[in-house]
Amino acid sequence: MTSGDRILGAFAGLAMGDAAGWPSSRHRAGVHAPWSRRLHRELDAFAEEHRVTTLPVPFALNQPVAPLVMGPSDDAEWLAWTVLTIDEDRAAAFAGLTGRDDVRARISVRTALDNLARGLGPPASGHDNPHFFDDAAVVRAVAFGAAGLDPTADAQVTNAGDGVLGAVAMARAIGVLVDGGPMGDAVRAALEALPGDTVIGRATRVALAVAREAGDPFAAVPALDEALFDHVYSYGVAAAETLPVALALAEVSGGSIRTAVPAAACLAAAADSAPALTGALTGAFTGHDALPRGWSTTLTGCCLPELAGIDLLDIVRGRIG
Amino acid sequence: MTLTHRGRARGCLLGLAAGDALGRPAENLSPEQIAARWGRLTEIDGGGTDDTEYTIFAASLLIRHGHALTSQDVAQAYQQEIIPLIDGPMKGAGFSELGAIQALRQGLRPPLTGQWHRHGWSDGLAMRAAPYGIFAAGDPGEAARLVEVDGSVSNAGEGILGGRAVAGAVAAAMAGASPDEAVTAGLGVIPEDSWTARSVNRAREALGPGSGDVAGRLHEAVVVRHYPWTDLAPEAVALAFAAYLMGGGEVEESVVIAANLGRDADTTAAIAGALAGAGRGEAAVPERWARQIGPVEGRCLPVTAGRHVLDVADQLVEGT
Repeated sequence: MTSGDRILGAFAGLAMGDAAGWPSSRHRAGVHAPWSRRLHRELDAFAEEHRVTTLPVPFALNQPVAPLVMGPSDDAEWLAWTVLTIDEDRAAAFAGLTGRDDVRARISVRTALDNLARGLGPPASGHDNPHFFDDAAVVRAVAFGAAGLDPTADAQVTNAGDGVLGAVAMARAIGVLVDGGPMGDAVRAALEALPGDTVIGRATRVALAVAREAGDPFAAVPALDEALFDHVYSYGVAAAETLPVALALAEVSGGSIRTAVPAAACLAAAADSAPALTGALTGAFTGHDALPRGWSTTLTGCCLPELAGIDLLDIVRGRIG
Repeated sequence: MTLTHRGRARGCLLGLAAGDALGRPAENLSPEQIAARWGRLTEIDGGGTDDTEYTIFAASLLIRHGHALTSQDVAQAYQQEIIPLIDGPMKGAGFSELGAIQALRQGLRPPLTGQWHRHGWSDGLAMRAAPYGIFAAGDPGEAARLVEVDGSVSNAGEGILGGRAVAGAVAAAMAGASPDEAVTAGLGVIPEDSWTARSVNRAREALGPGSGDVAGRLHEAVVVRHYPWTDLAPEAVALAFAAYLMGGGEVEESVVIAANLGRDADTTAAIAGALAGAGRGEAAVPERWARQIGPVEGRCLPVTAGRHVLDVADQLVEGT
């Protein structure tokens, strides 16, 4: 297995995990006509009013069918954008997106773009941000880790605190894996970037402990759910929740995408990005050739319309590694 | 007329309770929605919310422990006086308080209880910061230190800074500072390189000459547009301070302006009312509002039921 195969595995694994989580179809529906999403909301209200559990959604009559099939969404697109702009100054790259009304992004990124438009650059753009703790930069860090680069400057544009620590940890873990290191070394490299007195550091150590205790990824699902999520309010993409899940499942699976990603997708509260991060770690460990076939890595443009129809791996080839 | 310490303390908490009550129906509305519904919202219709009850709870901690208050005392009070009385879903709890309760139930201790949940930036501490300013009147640094002791249980980062800024500003107003001096004192107890300081400074700039209406400029300056929740401390504290400055420190005007700016209107109007009440005293709170403020019902915190903010103010003054 070559380093190039492991690099492709990281990106393909992320796309597969991104596709495996239930929120992916919601994100992909963003490319459809607004009326189809309005109908979705109306049918939800109908189901509530009539106390029926059969939800007649998605409903996309006369819409393009490509986005309706299983495939990657927001995380794969933002990672593709990161690869395409990786040589640019990070604040300048993001500033190029301000003023556009066709972009969809996490709250951290939306707020950072507003901050940049207001003249507030990094690190304040990522700090003066209600979702400074989310994992937008952790996803982008897959590209930096694969390229052997430090993700800090990129992460600080949109995030702070746990959001930046998570990005550094992810890049280090991916860096170890694409260099041919074992999963245990990758997890240790990540832990070194996550101090024990931070929430993300503590949560990662808790997640690893409960997953080891459970013994395999599927068995670890309820223990991770109990240990990491407060069940009162779900932020969905908090780095201190999704990265610990990904590292714990990647380790306890022995680096198998086949068992780790489905387990991550079972955690509904983290299913937007924990499967994607899990897929990136396990894909980088096994390499692209060892990954299951049949999972699309083609983007729909649901977050960045210019990426519609492009294969994530085509963007990576020749640019990274 | 010289204002007494007691008169300022009573004005501070009465102003807070009046702001809480006036702002309650405007919470999460935009200035345009408020204008469409009330023209200008000036009359209290019903009681306040969590702001007044959590303020009474915070004051009770100070009355018992004074300057020796520790985060462990606060955590213990949550465990003994809040958690056992929760009967079913918690009503009216702020994000940060609910997050702290969940963390305490998991066995975590402060400051981790304020960090483990993601709502560290909540204005839940800023809304109950006034008693610390009363207790440490004239000493913004001590007021800020004490409110952080409380806030370490439920908040982190900017949520603590929002509490510090309000406690510091109230401490200054209690000692006779002008609105501009009080806001400066609030800024003086938080780092310049913080979201809260940047937000307050942008709000101050927005009050200067410029085009468009002031409410619009303030929203443009401090509101996080793409966020569904309005209880961000940097935003709420900036809107409250701006209303207090725009109202010239006058109680009715400051509170009405804050409530009509919308967003977390009960909290911003409560903070503006606490500042203006501390500066102008009990007699400056409109009589028609004061008549509406009775003992709290304990809707959010049953342990506070039956207590009146004016009695709490008296006890705080006796404790200093």
